[in-house]
Amino acid sequence: MNKKFWYLTKLSLNKKIKTKWFYITNIILAIAIIVLVNISSIIEFFGGDFDSQTNVVVVDNTNSAFEIFLNTINSYDNEDITVTKSTESIDTLKENLEDEDLLVVINSDSVEYLKAEVISENAIDALTYQIISQALNTTKTTVGMISENIDPSVLANISQNITIDRVILNEEDSTDENMNLVMSSIFPTLILPFFMLIIFLVQMVGGEICEEKTTRSMEIIISNVSPKTHLLSKILASNVFVIVQSLLLILYCLIAFLISGSISSASSIIDIGGIMNMLNASGVVDKLWIIIPITLIMILLSFVAYSLVAGILASMTVNIEDFNQLQTPIMLITLAGYYLSVMAAMFDGSIFIRIISYVPFLSVFISPTLFVLGQITVVDMLISVIVLILFVWILLKSGLKVYKVGILNYSSGNVWKKFASAFKRSE
Amino acid sequence: MLEVKNIVKKYGTNTAVNNLSFTVDDGEIFGLLGENGAGKTTTFRIIMGLLEPNSGNVLLNHEKIDYSKTDKIGFVTEERSLLTKLSVQEQIEFYATLKGMEKQEIDKRLDQWLAHFEITGYKNRKIKELSKGNQQKIQFISAVIHEPKLLILDEPFTGLDPINVKLMKEAIIDLKNKGCSIIFSSHQMEYIEDFCEKLVILVKGKPILEGNLKDIKESYAKKNILIKGDIDTDEIKKIKGVISVGLEKGEYVVKIENMDVASKVFAKIKNNNIIKYDVEEPSLNEIFIESVGGIHE
Repeated sequence: MNKKFWYLTKLSLNKKIKTKWFYITNIILAIAIIVLVNISSIIEFFGGDFDSQTNVVVVDNTNSAFEIFLNTINSYDNEDITVTKSTESIDTLKENLEDEDLLVVINSDSVEYLKAEVISENAIDALTYQIISQALNTTKTTVGMISENIDPSVLANISQNITIDRVILNEEDSTDENMNLVMSSIFPTLILPFFMLIIFLVQMVGGEICEEKTTRSMEIIISNVSPKTHLLSKILASNVFVIVQSLLLILYCLIAFLISGSISSASSIIDIGGIMNMLNASGVVDKLWIIIPITLIMILLSFVAYSLVAGILASMTVNIEDFNQLQTPIMLITLAGYYLSVMAAMFDGSIFIRIISYVPFLSVFISPTLFVLGQITVVDMLISVIVLILFVWILLKSGLKVYKVGILNYSSGNVWKKFASAFKRSE
Repeated sequence: MLEVKNIVKKYGTNTAVNNLSFTVDDGEIFGLLGENGAGKTTTFRIIMGLLEPNSGNVLLNHEKIDYSKTDKIGFVTEERSLLTKLSVQEQIEFYATLKGMEKQEIDKRLDQWLAHFEITGYKNRKIKELSKGNQQKIQFISAVIHEPKLLILDEPFTGLDPINVKLMKEAIIDLKNKGCSIIFSSHQMEYIEDFCEKLVILVKGKPILEGNLKDIKESYAKKNILIKGDIDTDEIKKIKGVISVGLEKGEYVVKIENMDVASKVFAKIKNNNIIKYDVEEPSLNEIFIESVGGIHE
């Protein structure tokens, strides 16, 4: 029986891997990831400039605002903006204005101290406009205070940023509020491939079982191996497949970053160094030794749970339409887990999100995110793992009985009724 | 030898198989008959170990059938059970490996079977590219490639033309001669009459007629008289015990209630110009219809 189990597993795995579509998909994925990570170098190679410089030409009609404006812009430490002063006429400057140029005209105003005009050939990106308008506001405030004869030392103190000494009493909590922003941008990116792999997994396990059932080969297979052997072989093959696919994705990313590091001096679209600095400063790196092993365990257990449910539901179906109907709730649960994870920072450690982080299927998305955000502790993560283990055990114990009944049921009744009936009969 | 002993299978309040017993000896072909929904598939599934009976048991060579015994069983299902995306070779390898065979042996026997059915050229063709008849041959090969001790054939001739029916019949007879116990189910009674020494007819899961085919026919009271010559059918119909008089292929077929009526019919026509008078057993088809009391395909 053991031999047949490994044979079925190998056959199922070969059906997924030894296909031209697997190779084509992976070639496309590898190219897409390498191109995405190196997009700035590629654009530069073809003569473009991904991080284009914005030249801000200032016409200062007040004769006092330019220096303040320049110092303000420089204080933002933004290398993409260069500021120069011009004495040419505005009409001449307008005529010579290029796409990446910005003309800022600063005029005196008796009531508002300063007024400004920002001229460009086309619309500019929101960040650049925000920097320019913020610098103009600061310039206006400074000019106003000078004109009102405020002492320069007082003016300097007023202009200086406030000194904040941030103290959080909960040692487990993140010491950086910016972490919420980081998590809401980094985690969705990290979780997205996992989310897609779960969808893959559900469709692979269900689709294969459904195919064997609709072609009636299931009767022959089940007459030679037990339903348990059959289902477990499908689950193992599909899980090995998604793990192989995950490793390949990681490999493509590594290759992409290696290429990026070796060929490009330009700033990459993904600022790995910046992200790492941010993670380091927020204390996440110190938690990695806990997060990585527990998350890996949760991922593996969740893969098994998702594939078990997909297999059990597929055993009730007699055609692919039935299976599509049955897998919809799984997709919705997965989607809910993904969005809850993305929005985890918003819940601010509420009881609701903490309880949700224990729920199998959802826990794998939410629990690691909440832990990184400092909204739950390692104990909560371990509770999620224990709940997941219990859930998988219950699925194996009860689900296999349902599978055994459902796998030979070819009635065309409502699939959910069939599921309930199979569950009843299995008891 | 297969022994089915008093098996009962219930689905809720519905009894699919009700106290069914029969024995199939080595080298014997057994007919399992019944209209649609009579419990044949459930019986096959119980024999294959796919379903647990509520009571009774099934023994193959005096041992209970479980997954350690199913390698000795071959099963041709009524509906085709082939993975249509696979090639013929892949399909046969798949099922044969599940029967515990090694690749080398599978390849050798597959070539022999493909040659027997004259489809050697289809070895690498996808199942979905084959005609229904050729798919049926592949299904049959997949069920017998491991030389089973017990073979279950549920409508094995579906989709086959007369030439291929002949080839498959030869293969079945060959297996029988090698000592394989065969259970045969078909709606076409002539196949059952050709093959089966023993049979059981199921109605709603209950066996209503069982035993040796010859004995069943002999014990069946109603007979048919075949007459060729000049007769007055109206006169014959008046004889007590005559059920009907018909004309088939130039012969009168007189259905009678029992053997006693045959002499009365003979007395009535003996002075006529008769070139044939033959009393024969009723066909299995007639017995089946009579027993089941309904219409079958």
